[in-house]
Amino acid sequence: MALSGMRGLSVFISDIRNCPNKEQERLRVDKELGNIRTRFKNEKGLSPYEKKKYVWKMLYIYMLGYDVDFGHMEAVSLISAPKYPEKQVGYIVTSCLLNENHDFLRLAINTVRNDIIGRNETFQCLALTMVGNIGGREFAESLAPDVQKLIISSSCRPLVRKKAALCLLRLYRKNPDVVNVDGWADRMAQLLDERDLGVLTSSMSLLVALVSNNHEAYWSCLPKCDVPQEYTYYGIPSPWLQVKTMRALQYFPTVEDPNTRRSLFEVLQRILMGTDVVKNVNKNNASHAVLFEALALVMHLDAEKEMMSQCIALLGKFIAVREPNIRYLGLENMTRMLMVTDVHDIIKRHQAQIITSLKDPDISIRRRALDLLYGMCDVSNAKDIVEELLQYLSTADFAMREELSLKAAILAEKFAPDLSWYVDVILQLIDKAGDFVSDDIWFRVVQFVTNNEDLQPYAAAKAREYLDKPAIHETMVKVSAYLLGEYSHLLARRPGCSPKEIFSIIHEKLPTVSMSTVAILLSTYAKILMHTQPADPELQNQIWAIFNKYESCIEVEIQQRAVEYFALSRKGAALMDILAEMPKFPERQSSLIKKAEDVEVDTAEQSAIKLRAQQQQTSTALVVADQSSANGTSPVNQLGLVKVPSMSSSVIYSSKWDFDQSRSSTSTSSPSPSPDLLGDLLGPLAIEGPPVAGESEQNVVSGLEGVAAVDAAAIVPVTVQTNAVEPIGNIAERFHALCLKDSGVLYEDPYVQIGIKAEWRGHHGRLVLFLGNKNTSPLFSVQALILPPSHLKMELSLVPETIPPRAQVQCPLEVMNLRPSRDVAVLDFSYKFNTNMVNVKLRLPAVLNKFLQPITVSAEEFFPQWRSLSGPPLKLQEVVRGVRPMPLLEMANLFNSCHLIVCPGLDPNPNNLVASTTFYSESTRAMLCLTRIETDPADRTQLRMTVASGDPTLTFELKEFIKEQLVSIPIAPRPPAPVPPTPSVAQPVPPAAPSNDPGAMLAGLL
Amino acid sequence: MIKSVMVMNTQGKPRLAKFYDFQPVEKQQELIRSVFGVLCGRADNVSNFVEADSIFGPGTRLVYKHFATLYFVFIFDSSENELAMLDLIQVFVETLDKCFKNLHTILDEIIFGGQVLETSSIEVIKAVEEISKLESASNAIALVSKSVSGWRSR
Repeated sequence: MALSGMRGLSVFISDIRNCPNKEQERLRVDKELGNIRTRFKNEKGLSPYEKKKYVWKMLYIYMLGYDVDFGHMEAVSLISAPKYPEKQVGYIVTSCLLNENHDFLRLAINTVRNDIIGRNETFQCLALTMVGNIGGREFAESLAPDVQKLIISSSCRPLVRKKAALCLLRLYRKNPDVVNVDGWADRMAQLLDERDLGVLTSSMSLLVALVSNNHEAYWSCLPKCDVPQEYTYYGIPSPWLQVKTMRALQYFPTVEDPNTRRSLFEVLQRILMGTDVVKNVNKNNASHAVLFEALALVMHLDAEKEMMSQCIALLGKFIAVREPNIRYLGLENMTRMLMVTDVHDIIKRHQAQIITSLKDPDISIRRRALDLLYGMCDVSNAKDIVEELLQYLSTADFAMREELSLKAAILAEKFAPDLSWYVDVILQLIDKAGDFVSDDIWFRVVQFVTNNEDLQPYAAAKAREYLDKPAIHETMVKVSAYLLGEYSHLLARRPGCSPKEIFSIIHEKLPTVSMSTVAILLSTYAKILMHTQPADPELQNQIWAIFNKYESCIEVEIQQRAVEYFALSRKGAALMDILAEMPKFPERQSSLIKKAEDVEVDTAEQSAIKLRAQQQQTSTALVVADQSSANGTSPVNQLGLVKVPSMSSSVIYSSKWDFDQSRSSTSTSSPSPSPDLLGDLLGPLAIEGPPVAGESEQNVVSGLEGVAAVDAAAIVPVTVQTNAVEPIGNIAERFHALCLKDSGVLYEDPYVQIGIKAEWRGHHGRLVLFLGNKNTSPLFSVQALILPPSHLKMELSLVPETIPPRAQVQCPLEVMNLRPSRDVAVLDFSYKFNTNMVNVKLRLPAVLNKFLQPITVSAEEFFPQWRSLSGPPLKLQEVVRGVRPMPLLEMANLFNSCHLIVCPGLDPNPNNLVASTTFYSESTRAMLCLTRIETDPADRTQLRMTVASGDPTLTFELKEFIKEQLVSIPIAPRPPAPVPPTPSVAQPVPPAAPSNDPGAMLAGLL
Repeated sequence: MIKSVMVMNTQGKPRLAKFYDFQPVEKQQELIRSVFGVLCGRADNVSNFVEADSIFGPGTRLVYKHFATLYFVFIFDSSENELAMLDLIQVFVETLDKCFKNLHTILDEIIFGGQVLETSSIEVIKAVEEISKLESASNAIALVSKSVSGWRSR
């Protein structure tokens, strides 16, 4: 900074530095800001020198972290000063203080342009620097052509040209649509012939950006990627340029031309072999920067196995060197190597060394080592690796424990050589790091044990052992109590395992645990009681006393359990039937592993291919890599794991089941497991149905769910299952859920997930399809065809043929509604995975009710309309039978969720509903639709429906549509165990909260 | 692309901070603080790399170098090579060693809008000297001569 001669500024800075504390610093800054403000107010008296001085001070204050919200105008005005020092200050301060959206910048555009096209090189540099640093859209629009001219201008010095190149790069990155780069391939090739290092370096960066967007055009640049020898940094010729060049090469698809390929590999070979670890740190860094980039390029080019193993040998050497940076990069690149090629076996040779790195003093290196171990784990080495991880767990820093325990649990599950080992690992995990073990992990263990009879005695014995430890984690109490409740009778003959002993050791823990655990303990006591045959009166009395105590517990869940168990345990032998052992869980994908797949995105890092995908993402915003965070809530429902499977013929169960389902569906969004969840876990134990008083309220929720389920059955799904790939979740259910809401998952299978997000405005709709590749290899031959019904005009934007690994592609789909119809559009989606061709036909939720917009009408508006539409075909009436019985409140909700807004108070009869809405299509424009439903309180299965609108087709279609929503296929009692919908299935929670909705409130009063 | 360059002392006071993506002031301060929080806990003989995902979002890397009482920190995304960044810090520091003035100008001659402009410290110093000559010249003459570009291109 030009401080020379600016005494005021120097004094101010030294004042600030001498401030003993933050408080005084603030005082000094405030004083100075006040001073500057008053000086700027009477600008006339301000000499350019003073203006400059104050603007410098502003910058200094800004850099100290104070907000400077005035004086921007003065800074910008300095740009147009004729003298260099003022101009420089203007430019520097403007580019620090303002951002691209700032209004004042507009004022400066002309001055900036004059400086760029002017002859003064210093001014050109200043202007380019500011444009490059701020890079807004307006700058791009008005300045890009001038900047482009500068790059190739032969009269400019390299100093200006290199800045121009980077300035263009920045403008292009920010607004690729504004900067016209047609025909730049030739110019780029020309630029690469340049001998000036600075220009060459900048051009190479520009090339990287251009190539990453469109490699086709730039093939001509490929042979020119070489490096001049003039500049050396610690004896290595232009390392930076070498790195950039190799990076640029990674954006081209694999080089096919044998000659180019051969010479390329020769160079790479030389780099790989010719690099040694030397004493000088800086030289080391430079040479290894080149080396690691070469490695990345080798991976990208799919070199022969021989070269790959050479690379790995090299990496193996690196992870053992003293230099920590090299160790770090060695581990990281080995992890990348895992993703790209099939070199597991060679990497495994270095396992011991990698495990040593897990104890490195540097957490960065430890993290890398953990990632690598996680990536290289398979059946053959799982035991070693997981045991290493467990051992490390007790000494690991807190920052890593959660990740570590999750990874250990996943590896144990994925690669367990036998199940008892798996149980051991998880129990150890809970013992050592209980705080970091999520519920998923112990749910999964319970599931495994329940499903494997051989495992049960072993698990119970293990659980018993852990209970002997003096202080155990609450999670451990939960697992052991659960396991012992179920299976302790299998241990009966062993010492210390009589029901009484087991009870007392579990009961010891009760005072220290939280309410959710108490609930589990109560169930355990009930089970122990049940297994004690013949009954032991002493134990019985003890347990009854506990139940009695909790009958007045403030926690409803516990209270209910206590009351129920107490009543049940008095039933004697009948108890046996009711509290029978938990049935097997249906097999399902582990939510842990699913979670892990999310985690992998973060950790396992980038193959060259993924890098490219990311690059595209920044430049075109079309491909979005899936980046859910490691500990963010995964879409997997935590409860899904332990939902109760079907069990017996008793009808009471199903009511309890309904209860749990409805409760859980309302609580799916809560990330932390609540007692609800435990209600699920032990659901069938708590047998009595919910208290009658609460029933109607619960039905609202579960009933709505019912709608979707019913519908699913009523309409034959379009999807034909001819594929080898099983979809995850019920396609029809997903579709119906999406009919009532605007975003969610449309389809999912092990390889791909299709999400949908829609916006509706009048008769137009804009849907975005999110095609997500869930795998680590790309999906090929992706095709999406829309088969629109005649009443919809649909336009799908281009769907890329390949979806990169773990990336998500967004495809906008425009919809226009021409006329009313209930026909449904179909998406014909296909892709290839390995050799499997997968094809699915999916209904798209662009259905009639999406073009309805809620409108509330008053009585004065309603009745004249209603009367003016008299009789068919504008007004149609029908008596509908076989309606799924539901209370009025629920029906009102159903209508509201279809955008038919219930207008309360219009119909004097409380058993009737009146609803109104506006329908939009091109032929009808906006059209008011009115509906009246007359129900019969004596027979809820039939009703009379009247629909009126100004268009005969619309009236008919709307009537049929409503009928479809109301009519049901008999489902009661609900089949006891539909595998609970995977949570990512959209739960059709009513969009309007019943309590706020006037219609629902009215109906509730009836 | 380089997202940010920070120079701070071992007490966490920023000495130079430059963000190539616009960040509001409070955010800048917060970022500087959290970077310092990570760095001050690191021993001397460990690597120069720190995962910065939690501070700057996924995919960002942080490379730093510790000289006497100063930390030099570069933050960048996955399109850059870590060791090359370390070299760049070295170039920056060496340049400062040779001529410690006009920090901003020097940085602007090395990094431009988040991209590397020049890696040779000789070239950087040349450019900076030209600018400072110009400054003092114009202070003296009080008017930038039209022929400046003439004598500068030799």
